[in-house]
Amino acid sequence: MAELFHRKIERSSIGFAIAIVAAASVGGIIEIAPLFTIDGTVEEAPDMRVYTPLELAGRNIYVREGCYACHSQMIRTLQDEVERYGPYSLAVESKYDRPMQWGSKRTGPDLARIGGKYSDFWHVAHLMNPRDVVPESNMPAYAYLARTPLNLNDLSQHLAVQQTLGVPYTDEMVENAARDAYGQAVPDTDFASGVSERYGEATQVRAFDGVATQVTEMDALVAYLQVLGRLTTAAYQNTAAPELPPEPVE
Amino acid sequence: MEVKEQDPVTGRETTGHEWNGIKELDTPVPRGILLFLIVTHIWAVAWWFFAPTWPLGTTYTKGLLGIDQRTTVEERVVEGQQARQDWMARIESEPYDQILADENLMQIVRSSGRQLFGDNCAACHGRDARGRANYPDLTDGDWIWGSGPEAIEQTMRVGVNTEHPESRIGQMPAFGRDGMLERDQVRAVAAYVYSLTHPEFSTPENVERIEAGQQVFAETCSACHGETGEGSAEAGAPNLTDNYWLYGGDLDTIIATVHGGRQGHMPTWDERLTNAEIRMLSLYVHDLGNRQP
Amino acid sequence: MIDKLTYSERQSASFILVAVAVVGLLMAAFGNSNQLGVHGVIVMIFAAALLYPVLSAIYAPEPVEDREASYYDDPIKVGIVLAMAWAIFGMFMGVWVAAQLAWPNLAFDAAWSTFGRLRPTHTSGIIFGFGGNALIATSFHVVQRTSRARLAGQVSPWFVLFGYNLFCVLAVSGYFIGVTQSKEYAEAEWYADLWLVVVWVTYFILYLRTLARRKEPHIYVANWYFMAFILVVAMLHIVNNLAIPIAWSSAKSYTIWPGVQDAMVQWWYGHNAVAFFLTAGFLGMLYYYLPVRAQRPIFSYRLSILSFWGIVFFYMWAGSHHLHYTALPHWVQTLGMTFSVMLLVPSWASAGNALLTLNGAWDRVRSDATLRFMMAAAVFYGLSTFEGSFLAIRPVNALSHYTDWTVGHVHAGALGWVALITFGSIYTLVPTLWKRERMYSAALIEWHFWLAIAGTLIYIFAMWNSGIIQGLMWRTYTGENTLAYSFVDSLVAMYPYYIARAFGGLLFLIGAAIGCYNIWMTVKAVPSTVPATPDAPETAAAVPGE
Ligand code: HEC
Ligand code: HEC
Ligand code: HEC
Ligand code: HEM
Ligand code: HEM
Ligand SMILES: [Ca+2]
Ligand SMILES: [Ca+2]
Ligand SMILES: [Cu+2]
Repeated sequence: MAELFHRKIERSSIGFAIAIVAAASVGGIIEIAPLFTIDGTVEEAPDMRVYTPLELAGRNIYVREGCYACHSQMIRTLQDEVERYGPYSLAVESKYDRPMQWGSKRTGPDLARIGGKYSDFWHVAHLMNPRDVVPESNMPAYAYLARTPLNLNDLSQHLAVQQTLGVPYTDEMVENAARDAYGQAVPDTDFASGVSERYGEATQVRAFDGVATQVTEMDALVAYLQVLGRLTTAAYQNTAAPELPPEPVE
Repeated sequence: MEVKEQDPVTGRETTGHEWNGIKELDTPVPRGILLFLIVTHIWAVAWWFFAPTWPLGTTYTKGLLGIDQRTTVEERVVEGQQARQDWMARIESEPYDQILADENLMQIVRSSGRQLFGDNCAACHGRDARGRANYPDLTDGDWIWGSGPEAIEQTMRVGVNTEHPESRIGQMPAFGRDGMLERDQVRAVAAYVYSLTHPEFSTPENVERIEAGQQVFAETCSACHGETGEGSAEAGAPNLTDNYWLYGGDLDTIIATVHGGRQGHMPTWDERLTNAEIRMLSLYVHDLGNRQP
Repeated sequence: MIDKLTYSERQSASFILVAVAVVGLLMAAFGNSNQLGVHGVIVMIFAAALLYPVLSAIYAPEPVEDREASYYDDPIKVGIVLAMAWAIFGMFMGVWVAAQLAWPNLAFDAAWSTFGRLRPTHTSGIIFGFGGNALIATSFHVVQRTSRARLAGQVSPWFVLFGYNLFCVLAVSGYFIGVTQSKEYAEAEWYADLWLVVVWVTYFILYLRTLARRKEPHIYVANWYFMAFILVVAMLHIVNNLAIPIAWSSAKSYTIWPGVQDAMVQWWYGHNAVAFFLTAGFLGMLYYYLPVRAQRPIFSYRLSILSFWGIVFFYMWAGSHHLHYTALPHWVQTLGMTFSVMLLVPSWASAGNALLTLNGAWDRVRSDATLRFMMAAAVFYGLSTFEGSFLAIRPVNALSHYTDWTVGHVHAGALGWVALITFGSIYTLVPTLWKRERMYSAALIEWHFWLAIAGTLIYIFAMWNSGIIQGLMWRTYTGENTLAYSFVDSLVAMYPYYIARAFGGLLFLIGAAIGCYNIWMTVKAVPSTVPATPDAPETAAAVPGE
C-alpha cells in the first residue's frame, strides 16, 4: 500500500514538493510555536531593565566583531558551569537580545556574567591586546575600537526599531538616544543626568575607556560587557545559587 | 515503460525504471535496519514518558520522573556544597592562625584555591600570581595594603578604588597633569625616587637634581609614602625603596607615574564569591606570598 | 556561451543586469551608513562585469541549431569553476583561522582580519560558496540527465548561478567590513537575505519546470533530494532571517525573534542547514555520480524511500540538540535528543545503501580514486551521523558542547563527507562535460585523495583530543569536590592540537589545489573527437508524467 502510494507521488513533482513541505513543517511548528504560548518559558522579572543606547551600541559592536565565535553567553544547568561562572542563565535575561548571542563554541570563557567582574581599565587593556594581560590568550587584539569614534547618529533609529519589536523603550528614550549615549560615557556633562533619569540610578555612567572627552567604540563595548548579567537579578532569586548579584566596579 | 531486469551480481530484480543508465534494485529493506528503527523508537518513546517532552498549548507533559534540568542542577550544586562542607565550614569559621597551622587544611587551600584564583584573579595577577605592569605581584612578599590574610581578605572584599562603600582608596595624584608640580619638579622628584633604588644614579652630574627632588618629596610625597619613602598601608602608597614596582621602576615610568597619577582598580569580590571562597583565596594568596619571599 | 542565447534572451539578460546595477547604484547613493554604500558599489561592479560580455556579443549571430537537442551545460561548467574557486578561498580562510587560534598575532592588528570576522568568511565561503555552487552545478546536470531533457530556461540558469554568487560575495565581503547579523550560518544582512530569496525562488521554478519535461515518469531519488534541498532551505532561510532594518538606507537590521525564541529558530535553521544543505543536497549528488561511476544499480529502492522520508521528517525536530541544558525549556531538549537518535536510522540507511551499491564494484574502488572518493565520503557520512546522534544525547552533549569536539564532528562531516563527495562527483563530471575521455591525470587524483584523507584524519583526531580534554578539564573536580582547572588551564592545553589541526587543514587545502590544477589541465586538453557515449536529451514527445 505505502509503496504503491509512493510510486504515485513519485510521478508528480508538484505532489512530491507538497509532501516534502508538509513532512518538513511539523517539527518546527511543534517546537517553535509553543515557546510563545507556554507559561513560564520566559520567566517573570519585574526588575528587568533595557539596554541603554550606549550598551546597545556596544552590543552591536559585539555582534559586528563576531565575538560569539569564541564566547558563549549561556551558563548551562550543569554543576561545573554554575560553580565556575555563576547562576545558570534564564531565558528572561536575553529577552531583549536580538539576535541572541548564546554561542556555540567556547574558545574563550562564558561572558554571561562578566559584568562587574573586572575593571574597565582591565577590559580596555585586554581588548587593546589580550596578551598584555593574559599571556596565554589567543584572543585577537581590538585596538582599533579605541581609535574609532562611536557613531551616535542613528541610535534613535535603533531604539525605534526595537520599540516596534516590543522592547519597552519610551518615546523619550528613543528621542534622546544619542544624547544618552554621549552622556553615559562622558560623566561630567549635562547629558549624564538624563541617563540615570531614564534608565535608573544603577546605570553605570563613566568614561569606560578612560578618556572622558570622546565617545569611542571602546566605551560602548566595555559598557556592554560591564552590564552583562546585570539587567535583572532574577537569576539570583529562588535558586541554589550561592551568590548575590555583583556590585559595580568603578 | 517498466522493464524489470535481473542484476547478475546480486540476483535481485530491478524496479524496471532507468535514468540515463542508472537503475535500482528492488531489494527489501534489510531486517537490521527495521530492527534498528524499532529499537530507537522504543528508546525515544520511553523518554517521552519519563521526561518533559510534548507541548500542550500553555503547558507541556512533565514526564513520569518529574525531572527538570533546573531542579536537577540545583540539587547537584547543593550536594557539591555538602560534600565540601566539612572543610569549607572550617575555612569559613576558624581563625586564620589555626588554619595556617593545619597542614592538611592548607593542602586543600593550595589545591582548591588554584582554580578559583585562575578563574577570577589570574586575569590581572597572572596564573602564577606574579602580576605584571599595573597589577601587583602577590608572591613577592611586598604588600601595598598590608600583609596577612586579614588584610588580604579586606582588600578582596572591598576592593581598591571601587564603588563599594568601604572601598580602599589609593589615589596617586596626577602632580604634573593637574599642575601641582612644575615639569622640572616632576623630573627632579622622579630622579630622587629612582636614586633610592639605584644608588649608582647619584653621579655628580645628577646630584643637584636629586637633591631638589628630595626637597619636593619631603614636601609633597612623604604624606603618603612616608618620610623615607617606605610607603604606607593606610594610604595604599607603595614602598618606593624596594625593587618591587607596580607600574615600573625605570625613570621614564616613574616620571609618567608622577605626571599622570595612578589609580589602580582592584574589584570587590564580596558578592561574587562566597565567604568561604574569599577566605580560602586570602589564605591561598597569603601562602603564595610567604612561600616565595 | 552568449552565442547560445538568442537576441531577445541577450536583451533580457542585459535588462536584468542593468536593473541589478541600478539597485546597486541606489544602495551606493542612499547608503548613508557607508557599509551599504560599499555593497552598492560591489553590486554595480558585479553587474557591470557580467554586462560587458553580454553587450559586446549582443549582435553576434544567433544560435542556429535546435537547442533542445542538446543539454545546457554552459552554466554547469561555470558553476564547477566557481565551486573550485570558492573551495580554495574557503579552505584558505579555514587554514588561516586555524592558524590564528595557534598564533593569534596572525590577525596583524587590523579590524577586517580578526578571528570573529574571518571565521564566518570561512564557514559561509566554504558552505555557501563551495558547497552551494557545487550543488547548483550538479543539480543542473543531474536533473537534465535523469529527465533526459534540457533545462527549462536559457537565461534563468545563469540568473540562478550568478545571482547566487552575488549573494555569496555580499555575504563574505560583508563580514570583512563588519556587516553581519552574527546568526551562525545566516550571518548575511537583510538585503543579501532578500536577494537570496529571489534567486532561490527562480531556482525552484526552473528545477520544477525541468522535471516536468522528464521522459521517465518516475522521478529519480537524486531529484527527491535536490528538491528537498531547495524547498526546505527556502523555508529555513526565510523564517530565520525575518528582520527589520533600522532604515532602508542602512545595512543594520534587528531580527524579529527575541532571546529564547531566536535561539530555537536559529538552531532549527542551523541544524537543518546541515541537514538540507550539507546533507540532502549532497545525497542527491551521491545518488547520481556514485552509481554512474560504479556502473552498478542502486542497492535498494525501498531503502531509498525509507531514508529519504526519514531524513526529511526527523531532521526538522533535531535542532534543539544545539541547546541542551540551556535556558531553552527542557521539553524541547527531550524532543531534540530523541529525534536525533531516531534520525540515525535513515542516515545509516543512506550510507548503507551507498556502500552496498558498490557490491560488485569493489575492484573499481581499489583502482579508481574517483570512485574511492565517493566510497570514503559514504563512510565519513556514516561516521559523522553516528557521532552526531551520539553528541545529541544530553549527557554526552554536556561534555562536548562548546568544545572542539563539535568542531571535529563538523569537519568529519564537512571534509570527510561534503568535500569528498563533491570532489568525487566533480572528477566524474568534468570529463563528461568537457567531452574528454578522462581526467588529465589519474595519479594526481590519487595524490588528492590521500592528502584529503590524511588531512581529514589529522583534523578530526586533533579535535577529538582537544575537545574531549577541554570538556573534561572544565568539569574535573578535585578530591575535595572543587573544580580542578581554570579556564585558561584548558586553553593552554589546546595549543598543540590547534597546531596539528592547522597542519591537517593545510594538507587538505593542498589536495584541493592539486584538484584545481588537474581540472584545468583536463579542460585545456584537446577534445577527443567522438564522445564515447551519446549524451543528449530525448527530443521525442514527452512521456506524460503527471
Ligand atoms: C579567537 C577567539 C576569541 C575571540 C574572537 C574573542 N575572544 Fe575574548 N577571549 C578569548 C580567550 C581564549 C579568552 C581567555 C583568555 C583571556 O582572558 O584573554 C578570552 C577572554 C575574554 C574576556 C575575559 C573573560 C574572563 O572571564 O576572563 C572578555 C571580557 C572577552 N574575552 C571579550 C571578548 C570580546 C568583547 C570579543 C569580541 C570583540 C572577544 N572577546 C573575542 C578568545 C576570544
Ligand atoms: C581587574 C583586575 C583585578 C582582578 C580580577 C583582581 N585583582 Fe587584585 N588587584 C588589582 C590591582 C590593580 C591591585 C592593586 C591595587 C592598588 O593599586 O593598590 C590589586 C591588589 C590586590 C591585592 C593587594 C596586594 C598588595 O600588595 O597589598 C591582593 C591581595 C589582591 N589584589 C588579590 C586578588 C585576588 C585574590 C583576586 C581574585 C579573587 C584578585 N586580586 C583579582 C587588580 C585585580
Ligand atoms: C595622596 C597620597 C599620595 C601622594 C601625596 C603621593 N603618592 Fe605616590 N602613590 C600613592 C598611591 C596610593 C600609589 C599606588 C597607586 C596604585 O596602586 O594604583 C602610589 C604610587 C606611586 C608610585 C608607583 C610605585 C610602583 O610600584 O610602581 C610612585 C613611583 C610614586 N607613587 C611616587 C610618588 C611621588 C614621587 C610622590 C610625590 C611627588 C607621590 N608618589 C605622592 C599615593 C600617593
Ligand atoms: C582546509 C580545510 C579546513 C580547515 C583548516 C578548517 C578550519 C576551521 C576552523 C579553524 C574553524 C573554527 C573552529 C573554531 O571556532 O574553533 C572552522 C569552522 C567551521 N568549518 Fe572549517 N575548515 C576546513 C574546511 C571546511 C570545509 C570543507 C567545510 C564545509 C564543507 C567547513 C565547515 C566549517 C563549519 C561549518 C565550521 C563551524 C563549526 C562550528 O561552529 O562548530 N570547513 N573550520
Ligand atoms: C544524524 C545526523 C547528525 C546529527 C544527529 C548531528 C548532531 C549534531 C550535534 C548534537 C551537534 C552539536 C551541537 C552542539 O553541542 O553545539 C552537531 C553540530 C554540528 N553538526 Fe552535526 N549531526 C549530524 C550530522 C551532521 C553532518 C552529516 C554534518 C555535515 C557537515 C553535520 C554538521 C554539523 C555542524 C556544522 C555542526 C556545528 C553547529 C554549530 O555551529 O554549533 N552534522 N551536530
Ligand atoms: Ca558553532
Ligand atoms: Ca542573515
Ligand atoms: Cu545539529
